[in-house]
Amino acid sequence: MAAVLPLLPERHRTAPRPALLWALGAAAVAACVVTAALASVNEELYQPALRVLLVWWVTLPYIFAGIVAWRRRPDSFFGPLMILAGFITQLSILQWTSQPLFNTVGQLCDLLVAAVWLHVFLAYPTGRLAGRAERVVVIVGYAAAVGLQVVILMLGGFNDLHVLTVVKRQTAAEAVQNLQLITLSALALIGVGLLWWRWRSLPRWQRRRPAQILINCFSLSLVMLAALMLAGALQLPGFEIIRLATFAVAGLAPLAFLAGLLDARLAKAGVGELLVQLRADPTPDLRELLAHALRDPTLSLIYWLPQYGSWADKDGNPATLPEPDSGRRITLVEQDGEPVAALVYDATLGEEPELLEAVSAAAGIALENGRLEAELRARLQELQGSRSRVVEAQQNERRRLERNLHDGAQQRLVALALELGLLAEKANSDPATQDRLQRARSEVSESLDELRDIARGLHPAVVSGHGLAVALESLVAATPLEVQLNTDGLPRLSEPLEVAAYYVVSESLTNAAKHAQAKRVTVDVGVTDGTLIAEIVDNGIGGADSERGTGLRGLADRVEALNGRLRVWSAAGSGTRVRAEIPCG
Amino acid sequence: MRVAIAEDSVLLREGVAQLLTDAGIEVTARCGTADELLTRVAADPPDAVIVDIRMPPTHPDEGMQAALTIRKKYPDIGVLVLSQYVEVGLAMRLLADSAEGAGYLLKDRVSEVKEFIAALRRVADGGSALDPTIVSTMLKRRRSSDPLDSLTPREREVLELMATGASNAGIAESMVITQRAAEKYVSTIFTKLGIPASGSESRRVLAVLLFLRS
Repeated sequence: MAAVLPLLPERHRTAPRPALLWALGAAAVAACVVTAALASVNEELYQPALRVLLVWWVTLPYIFAGIVAWRRRPDSFFGPLMILAGFITQLSILQWTSQPLFNTVGQLCDLLVAAVWLHVFLAYPTGRLAGRAERVVVIVGYAAAVGLQVVILMLGGFNDLHVLTVVKRQTAAEAVQNLQLITLSALALIGVGLLWWRWRSLPRWQRRRPAQILINCFSLSLVMLAALMLAGALQLPGFEIIRLATFAVAGLAPLAFLAGLLDARLAKAGVGELLVQLRADPTPDLRELLAHALRDPTLSLIYWLPQYGSWADKDGNPATLPEPDSGRRITLVEQDGEPVAALVYDATLGEEPELLEAVSAAAGIALENGRLEAELRARLQELQGSRSRVVEAQQNERRRLERNLHDGAQQRLVALALELGLLAEKANSDPATQDRLQRARSEVSESLDELRDIARGLHPAVVSGHGLAVALESLVAATPLEVQLNTDGLPRLSEPLEVAAYYVVSESLTNAAKHAQAKRVTVDVGVTDGTLIAEIVDNGIGGADSERGTGLRGLADRVEALNGRLRVWSAAGSGTRVRAEIPCG
Repeated sequence: MRVAIAEDSVLLREGVAQLLTDAGIEVTARCGTADELLTRVAADPPDAVIVDIRMPPTHPDEGMQAALTIRKKYPDIGVLVLSQYVEVGLAMRLLADSAEGAGYLLKDRVSEVKEFIAALRRVADGGSALDPTIVSTMLKRRRSSDPLDSLTPREREVLELMATGASNAGIAESMVITQRAAEKYVSTIFTKLGIPASGSESRRVLAVLLFLRS
């Protein structure tokens, strides 16, 4: 059960090719070698061995954690972002060369490292910047890191090795550099604030996850970064020590990110809860539970009905899979290669395939049950529809027959009776002939009576012709019981509705007279809130059974075919109450 | 007497026209639809109209609507409604305000030529004609403490005739009694049922119907 097969693979970024990842790893190692080489040839470098180690310490974890994250979470931008951060750190090392162009690139990347780190922290875990504030902070960060750096270099800042010097204004360059450092340190502090605020808004259990706590700890390296840059700007003593500490912490941060990204506890907590709930309630609101377990309140659950070859919701109503560009993602739950259900969820959940897989697996049996239930409901609807059609077709056929009788045989027989009557009038001279003609005439009249009964049994033409109220008045008049009829304010309704209500009253009156030994009956028919309600109450012996009596069963069929409901209360000894409710719409 | 006919079946329409002509009644219009009848009645008002209640293929109660219209617009024209089925509900609708100049009979009553002509003349003269089936149906109803139970079989017979619109003379003739005896029966029945005796024969039709319906 529960092989999880994501649909619409084009919406998922495919995992990077191993060759690319190997190449990136090799490049990282090569860059480290280059770093060492650059340090060895640069005679001005202060504590070269320590500097090299620091660079390795920072870049390698970023690049290798990035490679692992990219492979395991191909949907997340976070892996590539970490790799980028690592390589930018490496690029900044180019400022150690005296080759003008490389030196310029290195100088440009010097503070870009700080901006990228800020970006990495704020983009965890999706690799995308979730809010407007985050985006602003990161964009301003890049602008300050690169844009102001260009200005400084153009003013001839830092040294003479780069190629960007336009004018030599040492004081101005230093002022801009101070502005740059203070801006970046402020942004780093704002970043810490944003991270704290985001952490506050997490659900309690997520806040306490060890990986999250680890990440919080390392967020403090942003504070250290801020301190480092302030120290640089204000030329405080101990700059080198702060740099050492900042880089030491920053180099460990990628490991915390990786741990957070791959944390399986997240999935397990939700899945465990789901299993407990499924055990407690065998017929749960599955969508609700899955939405909770997957932390996506917008989750929807649809089932595949193989018999219909279509998707349906839990009530068996036809459903469709969302369009590819709707921001929704689909995971198909399959069994034996056949789809069972589809989870439709917010696209950001796609970052956690293990969670989806675990949840789908845990809900496997329940999903299968849900599917069966949806199928049952779909079939029920179909049955309901076909019953309506059968009742309607039967109704139409009966009406057609009644009309044919009325317009055909009955008219002809009346004409025949009339002809015989006229002949009898004229055959004055011959009493025997007259007598025979009169007898033939009354024979035809009796046939007409019988035909009339048949026609009336086929279809109550008076209902369609003159409405339920008139028809019920006739019906009540012909009932050998004391009947209190109330049809006040009853409007004309659609024919199927009127005919159904007519049959309900007619059958109930017949039952009351024939079986219930009733003396008095009240009949109330009216429309309340768009529902036709017909209620027939007698004072007979009760004991009617809607399941056994074919009459009542037939009535229920008629009423239910119109999406109505027929209820019968008939306790022995306390009369019978029949109530039909049929929606008028 | 001048009569207009509305009946969609040609066979029947011509048959009835023949019947009327044979009885010396002038047929002023032979119509196939209710609309045609209304037009012809407006152009040349007859003494009475004979209307089929249900004239397909249009609305199934077009004939009834035409009958009600004529009764409202031309109170002097007698309206005799014919139908394949007689419905108490429709009778009450037709006679809602008064039974004067109104009749409602089963279609095959036309074959009982003499009775039919008599009923038609009664309606044209402002009297009533109600199909006996309706009256007998209504009489079958059970009521708690039913005053009908206090009637003798002969009185019941008189009540039925009275309800169909028969005059005292008609009752006398049907029951083979004198007209005085018939009158006496009528007043006894009214007393027993608690219906105020009213002069007009068609007014008492409605009174009896309303009593039976209650």
